[in-house]
Order: sequence, then C-alpha cells, then structure tokens
Amino acid sequence: MTRLRINNKMYDIELKGHETLLEVLRETLGFTGTKTACTEAECGACTVLVNGKAILSCITLAIEVAGSEILTIEGLSKGEELHPIQQAFLDKGAVQCGFCAPGFILSAKALLDKNPEPSLDEIKRSLDGHVCRCGGYLKIFDAIQAAGEQLKNND
Amino acid sequence: MTKRSDDIFLNPVGQSVPRIDGRGFVTGETKYTFDMKLPGMLVGKMLRSPHAHAKILSIDTSKAEKLPGVKAIITSKDTLGVKFGSNEFFFPQTADQQALEDDKVRYIGDELGAVAAIDEETADNALNLIDVKYEILPAVFDAVEAMKPGAPQIHEARNNIALILPTNFGNIERALKESDYVREDTFYLPSAAHTCMEPHVCIGQFETSSNSLTLWLSTQAPFKVRETLAKCLKMDLSDVRVIKLATGGGFGGKLEMLPMDFAACLLSKKAGGVPVKICYSREEEFSFSRRKHPMVYKLKSGVKKDGTLMAITGEIIADGGAYCSYGPTVLAAAMMRIFMVYKIANFRVTGYRVYTNNPISGAIRGFGGVQSGFAVESHMDMLAEGIGMDPVTFRLKNITGPNMTVTNKMIITSNGLKECIEKATAACDWAKKYGKQKHLKKGLGLGIAADVMGSKMYKSHESAGSVIKIEEDGSIHFFTGAADTGQGSNTALSQIAAQELGISYNRIKITAADTAITPFDTGSFASRVTFISGNATKLAAADAKRQILEIIAKEKNIDVQHLDIQAEQVVNTQTNAPLMTFDKAVELCYSFNYGTQIIGRGSYNPTTTPVDFRTGEGNVSASYGFEAQIAEVEVNTDTGHVKILKMWDAHDVGKAINPQSVKGQIEGSLFMGIGYTLWENLQFEEGRVINPNFANYRMARSVNACPVESILVETNDPQGPFGAKGMGEAALLPTAAAIANAIYDAVGVRIKDLPITPEKVLKALKEKI
Repeated sequence: MTRLRINNKMYDIELKGHETLLEVLRETLGFTGTKTACTEAECGACTVLVNGKAILSCITLAIEVAGSEILTIEGLSKGEELHPIQQAFLDKGAVQCGFCAPGFILSAKALLDKNPEPSLDEIKRSLDGHVCRCGGYLKIFDAIQAAGEQLKNND
Repeated sequence: MTKRSDDIFLNPVGQSVPRIDGRGFVTGETKYTFDMKLPGMLVGKMLRSPHAHAKILSIDTSKAEKLPGVKAIITSKDTLGVKFGSNEFFFPQTADQQALEDDKVRYIGDELGAVAAIDEETADNALNLIDVKYEILPAVFDAVEAMKPGAPQIHEARNNIALILPTNFGNIERALKESDYVREDTFYLPSAAHTCMEPHVCIGQFETSSNSLTLWLSTQAPFKVRETLAKCLKMDLSDVRVIKLATGGGFGGKLEMLPMDFAACLLSKKAGGVPVKICYSREEEFSFSRRKHPMVYKLKSGVKKDGTLMAITGEIIADGGAYCSYGPTVLAAAMMRIFMVYKIANFRVTGYRVYTNNPISGAIRGFGGVQSGFAVESHMDMLAEGIGMDPVTFRLKNITGPNMTVTNKMIITSNGLKECIEKATAACDWAKKYGKQKHLKKGLGLGIAADVMGSKMYKSHESAGSVIKIEEDGSIHFFTGAADTGQGSNTALSQIAAQELGISYNRIKITAADTAITPFDTGSFASRVTFISGNATKLAAADAKRQILEIIAKEKNIDVQHLDIQAEQVVNTQTNAPLMTFDKAVELCYSFNYGTQIIGRGSYNPTTTPVDFRTGEGNVSASYGFEAQIAEVEVNTDTGHVKILKMWDAHDVGKAINPQSVKGQIEGSLFMGIGYTLWENLQFEEGRVINPNFANYRMARSVNACPVESILVETNDPQGPFGAKGMGEAALLPTAAAIANAIYDAVGVRIKDLPITPEKVLKALKEKI
C-alpha cells in the first residue's frame, strides 16, 4: 500500500510500481480535472502541485510523491468559493475550451505563491511549458496579474 | 451561478458576461469525452496501413482473435462498404473513403480494421497479431508530380485531379494589356495541424434490443457525424444518437466522422453492446486525423498607375492527400474570399485539388483562406510597390464596400472594411512609421481579409434550430444543436436568448448538443454559429415571449401588440407601465385556468443563392465579415530572427455580442496565425509525418505572445441577430501576409514560402546584397 496525500486527504493505493501520478489521479482515483494532451512532458496540461511546486504528472511516478503534499485542480476552491486565480480566469475571459486551464491555473498558483507581483516577462517565462491552442495567452496573463493583486490584498 | 441583478445580466447583448459554463472549466469539474468512463468499457484501436499506397491482398485476424482479452475485431468484411465524403451533396464524386478500406490503402495510417480489448496493451498486442498481406504500389507525394501523366493512379480521377474549380470573369487579355504594371509571383504554403488540446476521442455503444447506437464524442458537428454514421451503417437518423460533451478545441479537425467513430460503434455491436472507447494519442493526432492543405499559388495580376486593380489570374494547386474530406469547400473558399475583398472585374483563377499518398487534407480554421490570405495579400503589396503606391492607399482604392453585388454575384450587405483599414492604420501610426523605420530594421505590414458567416456549400440547407422551454418557476432551459468547442457559443447564444426574452442571463441553463434532444444544427464551422444559430435562438426566444404575452393580453385585456418583456418586467409599451414581473407572468401561464406550456421554437436558414461550381457564381453566405490587420516587426539582420512587436486587428463583427469573447477569438486566431507564419510546418517524408509531437511541431507559446490591439467595428448587419456577424476565423487569414509585408518594410526582403524561418530571412538578406 502506498499512501498519497491529495488535496488534504489520504488515499491508500496498491501501486504496481510503474504507474505515473497522472494515471493514478485520473484512472485510479477519478481526478479527471488533471488533463494531458501529450503524455510526453510537452504540453503542461497535466501540471499538479507537489509541495507547492508545479510538476508534470505524466512523467512523475506516483511512488516518487508518496508522502508529499499533492494539489490538483479539484482541491483549489473552498466549496462554492473559487480560488482568486480561478475567479480571475473567469473574469478575464482566460478560458476558451478549458482543456489546458487546470494546468495553467496550478502553474500560476505556484508562481504567485512565491511572487504575488510577477512581471509580465516572469509570467510568460513561467508558462512556457504550457500549450493553449485556443490562444488565450494574453487573457491568461491578465488573469494572473489580477489574481496576484487580489491575493496580495487578501493577505 | 449566484443570481445577480446587475444590468449586464439584464441586458446581456454587448456585455462581457462570464461564460455560462465557465466554472466547471476552472474547477476541473467539466467532463470531456476524454474523461468519460462507462461500465464494462473496452479500449478500441485502429489497424492502420504502414504503406503509403498498396493493394490489400488478405487480412488474417485468427491469431489476434485467440488472444485473451480481445473482445471484437472488425475489418471491411463487417461493413456495408459505403463510401462517404464531407462535401458529397454538391460533389458526389468526392465521396471516396470507406470507414475501413477493402481493396487499397492510400496513405500511411489508412484504416483497414479495428480491435476492442479489455485494455490498451491487449489491443496493441492484438493489432500486432493481425497479418495483412499487401502488394506495394508506387506512390506519389507531391501534388504537381501527381498531376503528370503516368503518375501512380490513387483513385479513378484522371491525373489524380479530384476536383477542378474554374473561374473566368471579364476580359483578362485586354485587362492585362491595359495594365501599366503586371507581375507574377508564386507562393508556397505548407501543411499544418489543428493540435486541439483534447485529442480525437469517442465512445460508441450499440443497443441490440432497439437496434440503435449512442456515440459520445469530442466534436464540432454532432449532426454531421450522425448523418455520415447513419449512411455508413444504413440506419435511421433517429437510431443514431451523437452526444457532444465539452470539447477541447476543434479548429476544423472535428467536423466530420472519422473511421474511429464508425469503428467504436461497430466494435460495440460485435462485442455484444459493451461501450468501446477510442482515443488518439498525440502522435496519431498529428499523423492520422486531418491536416491543412499544402498549396501552391501562382498569381499574375495587373494594375494601372492610378492604383486600379485590373486583373487577377492564376492557379492554385492543393495537395489533398489520400481522400477528399472537406477539400472542395476548402478550395472554393480559398478562391471566393478574393472577391469579397477586392472589386475585380477581370478574374481567372483555376483551383485544382489533387490526390496524393499523403495524409488526408481537410478543413482547418480559415478553410483555405489562410493560404489565400498569405498569397494574395503579399502579392497586393508587391503590386502596390510596383506602381510606387502606399499599400494602404492601394487597398482603399480597390476594396469592396457595403451593399454591393460583386463580380461572381456574391451579395455584400454590411461591410466595414474601409473603416477597419482606417482605424487600424490610425492606431498603429501608419503614416508616420511606414517606410520610415528601415534604419531601425523595424517595419509595418498590412493584410486584409473577409470571411463568410456560414455558407451553403456543405448541404442543401444551412439551417439551425433552437428550443426555449420556460419552466414553471421561471427558470429557463435552452436547447441548441450548436457545438461550443471553446469559442463561447453557449454563452453568446444564451445572451441572445436572454436579451430577446427580456430576462436575466442568469436564468438560462443550456443543453448543447445531443442529436436526440436538441434541434438540428449544421455545426461549428464557417464562423456561422453566432449568425445562423444566433438567429434561430432569437426566433425561439421571440416565440416563447409571444406565448407568454398572449396569456397576459387575455388576462389583462390588452392588445398583445402593446405588451413586451423588458428587464424582467412585463410592460405596456403604450404607457411604459410595468404590469407584472416575469415570475408572475410565468406563474399565470402555468396557473389553474391557463396551464399552458411555454415552449419557443426557432428555425433559421440564411438566404443565399446556390453556387455554380463550374463558374464560381453564386452567393455563398447571407453576411460577410471583414477585417484589417497590421503587424509591426523587428528583424535581426545577423540572425534572421523576426520579432513581432505588436499586432493590430480592426474587425467588422457587425455587433459584438460578448466583446471579451470576441477579443479572445481575435487573439487566439492571431496566435495561430503567427504560429503558421513563423514556425508551424507539418513535415512529411515519403508520406510519413516526421514531426508528430509538440517538441518538433512548434506553435506559439506564452513567450511568443505579443501585444494585440483589437478594434471592434460594429456595422450592425441587417440580417444578423442584434446586428452580429461571425468572426471566429477571419483574424487568422491576413496574419501571415501582414507579417511578411512588415518584414519587407523593415529589411527589404520578400519571403514567399511559409514558415518564415530565420534561415530563409538570412538567405534572402544575403541574396539582396
């Protein structure tokens, strides 16, 4: 049995050893908010946070993150209340098809937790591993800046 | 959604209300087909040809059938051998593909069977155990080569030419003779991929007892897929149910039935009715879905010294790959767009769509307009230069305007192109900057384009339907067959419904799309949904409102003509007196005495004239959108690197139903266009895609996102819902030319083949010296 701590809850799972975190999240546990568009570490859609750091779950073995704090998109809002980054993505029109959004939002969280006032250049560089084919990059930048502002005011 | 009474929700048209389905996207709750699991579900995989062109001699599945865990295997023997195509209504000969081929394979990846097994590994192992014997045939991978006599014959079409679209208007010879400047240019356009984030994915389930099937699908066109499935399986439309779930992008790649959709249903039938899921890997997505037509544009045109465009002539050769798909429409659209933009009396361009043994070319955002935009708009700049005229002045002299019938009989009503050019050039400071930044190696370039808002080139009608059901408590169910793939049609259509009904946007709950429940809709393509489905929705809302008001009229003994619902109040329009709230009105409809179901219906089919494809004459669309785009670039003459400093896009959208969504569409199109201009190139060797992954197929990423200034020009289209026109594709059409023209302004080199790589720029700079 391997114990995974996901969104502040414990899950005991029988691992075969080679399963990726992505497979465990989506297939075993049903956290389908985590997406993938390549499974080759090239699109960023499978991003989750491990101990606050954005990682690609498609190239991370589940066994590697046993005992770590894992956050998926499902764990971000507090009940009905959206996290400021989620709210900002909605308010700024940063979501089109939505498939890449969970990955972007979690990368943004990792960035803003470290630096609530990132420059535009820092935002762009921190998101370079993500693909948004609908092309909403500019609105994603706006959302992250607005969320940073909000988070700073909340502190 | 929490109920708010802010004005933007009460009068939502023209307001940037939040997405009606937005919350699920940011919480991860929204379920895509990719996320779906059904009890007992099997994994399906396609059996594909490893050869570009071969005869199928035999297929032996006996070993694979014995593999534990394999539940069904199908080949052409299990099919009815029906041929399908996506443009078969107007071009019957282009129905050239079978869901599973029986005699020949025509590209690497061509489908000849499928397996369903308990897991992916077993399915893969089963595929390896299927023994197919081929007789390899000579193949051809270049469209020009394929047209030559003696080239390998791929289908029955002579010289592999699947389709010729001729146009010939005016007197070309005289017009060229009367021109002061004539030039010829050839442009080369590569292939490109849609790269939707959600790959092609479907789940098929057959129910034996009712002889019906359900297909859960990531799609832009559930009704189109239903039509083709029903045809190939010889079933009634009502026995085929296609359910569209949230769809992670489409961009033209999810407009038609793929063999995988057919296979999932047939495998399920053969496996006794258990659901079968087939999901493409990213490599399959790049290699075996659909792709942009590579095209060669040869243009020869003439102008007078005063800037009058005298004649455009030339030919377009499109590499269609192994089957026709949406090729005819792509080619037709590539040609017709020129008429919408320029007043041109003398026009002779012939388009050829040619079979090759490359993967299938099909529809992709812009429908040939992207290729056309680059070639024609680069060519126009060169013509203007030839007579020493500013490209803006040249465009303004030759563009189409409102209320005109153009040479090929297309009828333009609203047209804000002039205003678009003027606003874009003012915003970028054209007069001060153009031609004056060469010392900085910076330059400006203009491209203009037009787009159709739906077009009757797909089937006999182009209709959409909407149903609006008012529940007993005043909440509202809105049913549309329109497919939101991220562009925001669920939101825009709900805004239209709320505005017309006179109630808050927050009341609306939308169901879209399910062929068993929602009314017919042709699909999300040709930038048609806001215009066509929007009109159907407006009619449905008006119908529901009329039904409510008729009851109020009876109850209050007021002529129904004098009643309206505005901002949630029933009002007497003669006195402006509020009579009752919307809630009270609905209560009355469902009261003891009246007990009347309020169900509004709307159906809309745009007025057009059929196109004669032998001449190119006809009016394909009821409205046309226009735009002008400007790029400002900086070129590094040591490295050849092009940096885009800023883009301006002035866009005639008729009326922006949701300005934030409209700007999102413009930005998204633009970045796709920038990608195609600078990097995107789906590459092939002997028919095999050699860069089928995100690492080697480069697109615009966050670091490449330049500032964009979107300028919305509202011309209030006479037939558009609240004046709106479509606009989801147009911003992609002029991008490549705007950038190429800007590079020329900056450093004086002209690149005529995409993508514009640093190597090409450097080479051109060296040749210039």
